[in-house]
Amino acid sequence: MDLQLRGKKAIVTGATKGIGRAIVELLASEGADIGFCARSEDEVEETTRSLQAKGVNVVGGAVNVRDGDAYKAWLTETAAALGGCDVFVPNVSAGGGMDSEKNWWKNFEIDVLHTVRGCETLMDALKASGQGSVVIISSTNAIETFAAPMAYNAMKASLITYAKQLSQFVGKHNVRVNAVSPGPIYFEGGAWEMIKGTNQKFYDSTLRAIPSGRFGVPDEVARVVAFLASPASSLITGANIVADNGFTKGVRY
Amino acid sequence: MSTDSSKEALYAASATPKYKKVRRVTPAESPVTPVDKTPDPELGHAPIAKERYTSAQFMQLEWERMWTKVWLLGGWERDLAEPGDYVATHLGKESVLIVRQRDGSLKAFYNVCLHRGNRLRPEGTGSGDSFKCQYHHWEYDLDGSFLRIPDLDTFVQGPPPCKGIRSLPCEAWGGFVWFSLNPEAGPLSEYLDPVDKHLAPYNFAKMAMTRDITVEWDCNWKASVDAFNESYHVQGIHPQLMWYLHDLDLQIDTYERHNRYLIPFGTLSPRVRKPNTIPDPIKVIMKAAGMDPADYDEPIENIRRDVQKWKRKHGAAQGKDYSGLNDDQLTDDYHYLIFPNVTLNTHADDLMLFRQRPHETDPNRMYYDIWTFELIADGAPWPDRPRHQHVQHGDKSIGLVLDQDAHNLPGVQAGMHSAGFDGLWLGQQELRIRHFHKVLDDYLAGGPTAQT
Repeated sequence: MDLQLRGKKAIVTGATKGIGRAIVELLASEGADIGFCARSEDEVEETTRSLQAKGVNVVGGAVNVRDGDAYKAWLTETAAALGGCDVFVPNVSAGGGMDSEKNWWKNFEIDVLHTVRGCETLMDALKASGQGSVVIISSTNAIETFAAPMAYNAMKASLITYAKQLSQFVGKHNVRVNAVSPGPIYFEGGAWEMIKGTNQKFYDSTLRAIPSGRFGVPDEVARVVAFLASPASSLITGANIVADNGFTKGVRY
Repeated sequence: MSTDSSKEALYAASATPKYKKVRRVTPAESPVTPVDKTPDPELGHAPIAKERYTSAQFMQLEWERMWTKVWLLGGWERDLAEPGDYVATHLGKESVLIVRQRDGSLKAFYNVCLHRGNRLRPEGTGSGDSFKCQYHHWEYDLDGSFLRIPDLDTFVQGPPPCKGIRSLPCEAWGGFVWFSLNPEAGPLSEYLDPVDKHLAPYNFAKMAMTRDITVEWDCNWKASVDAFNESYHVQGIHPQLMWYLHDLDLQIDTYERHNRYLIPFGTLSPRVRKPNTIPDPIKVIMKAAGMDPADYDEPIENIRRDVQKWKRKHGAAQGKDYSGLNDDQLTDDYHYLIFPNVTLNTHADDLMLFRQRPHETDPNRMYYDIWTFELIADGAPWPDRPRHQHVQHGDKSIGLVLDQDAHNLPGVQAGMHSAGFDGLWLGQQELRIRHFHKVLDDYLAGGPTAQT
């Protein structure tokens, strides 16, 4: 199956590690030009070199998405440098935590606002594409109780609602909007590697909840995202695709 | 040929991770505690003999030439606040009674009644106006002198010619009471030098005891001392601490008898990848300082420095006096071994002290005392002193990290008896272990260090 991603312009936030990195690597392998950002300049440079080796145009930037003005400016510049935007994947997250009320602000500003600002800033370019696709990264924590009543979980849930309603709003412009909700994803340098080291009991109990007894890996999420990003999924919009290897237990009709 | 390539493969599979040196305070930036690196002593690379851990003869030699020569930790001085307060502490076959006198001074005695040899007081703390043996009621005053010997006139030979129970050298330092079984022991400060000066700026006197536990471990007391004298084991048994401390960039310093390492806390081990979020163990450090991890937007590698700055700035307002401590002491573990058996995990806000005591008769067993303390802010209420608990290994959790430490020790002790084991094969990360055994050897040889 040809995903028809060759020559498409994709912008992904938080793309030097983990799921975001796997997404840009796969999209680039499929021939898409890539715009991406992360906070660390060194990591941006390293990722840029890796993607360029695949023979696509790459525009990497060191940006803190929490800084709304800088982030929006970077998006606009990057779309211009790429010559448009067909695919947008807002992937950055503040992660979990229940340290204080500040966690709520942080997850709101980073997980939610950075997604909304990105969609609004890039929407003209996505409309101009004719095959625009937004893939919002949510989490299974949004749809089932997990660990604790964290801001992360509730904010990730709001993204699913936003994806659905945005999809209705921009559908007439042939822009599709979907959410992907990964379950526990293990990768080096990721949260689960740290949890395995710092809280073995929690790690083990999470692993036991996955029927096949293994965590997902970033490539597996990236393949779902690439499909939704591509014109190959032209009928799918407003969906929340759960990619969790059976981690969640609820039946959704 | 094949040997060379397999050796290369072994080294390739076993390389120490590369890392950037942690920023440390310079000697000029440390107001009291010296931070100068001592030159590493030339102690060779030979195995440490395993018989030291198993031999009854060696145990006896340790008793005669070391335990009965050195200064030893006896108790917490706050337990001896009022005249008549006492602590009875056992060491090997001996027991010592340390007593606050009516004039405020301290005295230590062999904890034994001169009549039939009964222990005057069971192990532990207490208070009284006198010490009456619970057998025939021979009674001694707080200063150890005879108060009453029932039916003395029936002792044709009169009372024992000494005036009472035999006293021992005893002094206080650092909020603790110390004794020596050596009547000729020199001053405590000479013995502790230079550690007493190093630890002076910590507010031990403002720290409340939070745990007082003795665990019986099935290993030689030195196996326990060794267990806390290196950080090489962190990657082996404390995976969670690799998201908490730097287990490779240690400064090891050795002194005449004692030794230390300075180990950075609040930072990542180079053995783990930098995570996207602040590790929970490091959050604990931040929260204890009054910082909100959710409000921290800097890279993880800046946390140690920023906690130091934060505590320096806010410590006084929190009722904590850090003025004598250098910045590293506000986050790091200044980890001392006071020879032979006191391990001190020293931090600005707490102290975790371990005392390792030999068993009465069996070189394969020991007593491991855990005393933990927390700095009490000025004006804050003091918690009640915890009750002493005495447990067997494995009966009760002593906390995740110490459970992990304890787990291997019976296996280590069993291995010391194996024909398949030649002795301890130590690396440079374990230099303090080698130094400790060298000091012990000096005592056993009756060398200059032993002339206290």
